[in-house]
Amino acid sequence: MQRGPYNTISTTDIRFFDSLLGPNRLITDPDECESYNIDFPSTVRGASRCVLKPKSTEEVSAILKYCNTRRLAVVPQSGNTGLVGGSNPVFDEIVISMKSMNKILDTNELAGVLTCEAGCVLENLENHLTTVGLMMPLDLGAKGSCLIGGCVSTNAGGLRLLRYGNLHGNILGVEAVKANGDVVDALNTLKKNNTGYHLKHLFIGSEGTLGIVTKVVIQCPPLPKAVHLAFLGLASFDKVLKTYHLAKRELGEILSSCEMMDRLSIDVSINNLDMKNPLTSYENGHEFYMLIETSGSHLAHDEEKLSSFVEKAMNNDIIEDGTLTNETAKINNIWGLRERISEGVLRDGYVFKYDISLPFTSFYKVVEVLRDRLRDPRIIRISGYGHLGDGNIHVQVSIPEYYVDVAAQLEPFIFEYVSQCQGSISAEHGIGFKKTKYLHMSKTSSEIAMMYDLKKLMDPNGILNPYKVLMPVTTELQS
Amino acid sequence: MEDYKFLFKVVLVGNAGVGKTCLVRRFTQGLFPPGQGATIGVDFMIKTVEVENEKVKLQIWDTAGQERFRSITQSYYRSAHALILVYDISCQPTFDCLPDWLREIEEYASNKVLRILVGNKIDREDREIPTHVGEDFAQRHGMYFLETSAKEAENVERLFMEIAAELMEVSENILFKSILLLW
Repeated sequence: MQRGPYNTISTTDIRFFDSLLGPNRLITDPDECESYNIDFPSTVRGASRCVLKPKSTEEVSAILKYCNTRRLAVVPQSGNTGLVGGSNPVFDEIVISMKSMNKILDTNELAGVLTCEAGCVLENLENHLTTVGLMMPLDLGAKGSCLIGGCVSTNAGGLRLLRYGNLHGNILGVEAVKANGDVVDALNTLKKNNTGYHLKHLFIGSEGTLGIVTKVVIQCPPLPKAVHLAFLGLASFDKVLKTYHLAKRELGEILSSCEMMDRLSIDVSINNLDMKNPLTSYENGHEFYMLIETSGSHLAHDEEKLSSFVEKAMNNDIIEDGTLTNETAKINNIWGLRERISEGVLRDGYVFKYDISLPFTSFYKVVEVLRDRLRDPRIIRISGYGHLGDGNIHVQVSIPEYYVDVAAQLEPFIFEYVSQCQGSISAEHGIGFKKTKYLHMSKTSSEIAMMYDLKKLMDPNGILNPYKVLMPVTTELQS
Repeated sequence: MEDYKFLFKVVLVGNAGVGKTCLVRRFTQGLFPPGQGATIGVDFMIKTVEVENEKVKLQIWDTAGQERFRSITQSYYRSAHALILVYDISCQPTFDCLPDWLREIEEYASNKVLRILVGNKIDREDREIPTHVGEDFAQRHGMYFLETSAKEAENVERLFMEIAAELMEVSENILFKSILLLW
């Protein structure tokens, strides 16, 4: 990959940023820049020597206006929890860290509408909403560090998508800054506003390539009064599907999560992280596990539904054993088994992660196909877990360290396989830097052509998050 | 579908720490886990046994003894075929609570449910409830009675096997009666 036609940052540029932000919100020390250059699983590393931390929309606007004129490439960064290298510089792009824009601006309890700045940490928003009986429509394993602006820009999915849908539905409005510094105020707070073009969607999921999200308006559902969790052990994937089918029918309106994990995935939490498996009736554990959560407004009603569902599942021979609870500490422990897989697997060494959507018929087959294909003694684990209810599986292949030949056996094979099965090569993690060359496997050529048109319109100099989502269009640098 | 002729739901209740989970684990896995933590919510599992050459599948529900960890609806009582009410023979308060448990059973369970009173921990030397006291209580309330030790594997297998056999007989009688009625 070649560095694009951008200018290199000069001392004059640094002086400008210093006068704009002051020395505390401008980082040029190489050691301090390091954590912004590397992604959280340490799979990509950029070489930025300048990190900016704006505190207001006006500052973001001033930065972009300056960079656009100067042809300086920038990369917006939120919590840096992405898995496709979308928020790290590839070369020396200036990092615009949104961390300091972390104010909650308005909470409308009756309408369930929250307005806040892009740099608010997801978990902080969740805690704030709890006090007024509301909740965030999304929840992720990375909630303690990811920022809402990043979630919106990547259209993050997560554990509640099954119930509340994705962010295209839950984000009512955004404020974003375009590449030239113009501020687009699309801070709609209405549930229904069918007027003109729905511009907010341009900034949801475009991974900072069309503009930088600075404020968001979120539709927040009421906090459920009753949450129940069933954790189940199963013998085969076929039975996992049957259980899902039964859960949809029996639990319908209160079902809020339906997750699956295979044996090797749960082993990560149990062996790598020393967590306890709450199911003990099978000495060697189970081939598959499911986590089924219900959220509703009536404790007794929900409990009764869930236990009758479990009884049916046992009578039909589709589950082997399980546990049922509404006790918060136990619920959190069980969720931990699922949520910490992604962190725990890093202890294996190097991890190839694939976040894919597949039709149910081939949902787990992808793991079996990989196990068949990669019979290499260096491989520690090939396993799958994920949001079954959303048709989204996370496949992880771990080895002690990165081997080029293992990578070559995996890619592009897995993407081709997914594409053949009519799946998506990125269900919720985006395209970022790591998947740009595979975009065509999940997008048609007409879609990609229109994406280029939009990119050219919104960011003619290509300064916004270059090398991400779309392959760069090489244009000569105009002096 | 697995091959079995009978399917019964067996629910264990009783005070915290009387050994419900240990009885279940002894029966289903043949082990005695030392330092078993309190059950939170309810755990459920399946064990298939053979009675008179017939496969009987037991669906076992192991419930929390501690008030704050118990479910609020007790919905698991409703479809139970057998209820095992457990106390600890070395702990008088667990025996004193039996009438409370019976009231709950009356309220939530079917009146046809098979009820078994179990005095657990007979391996202990500090017995507080003599066998005949337990027996009397069971008789007065129309319950089967058995003393067990999950630790020493005493009467545990027998407990579940007798339940399976009894339930099988009851359901065959019902079957027989209904055939007679059809005639």
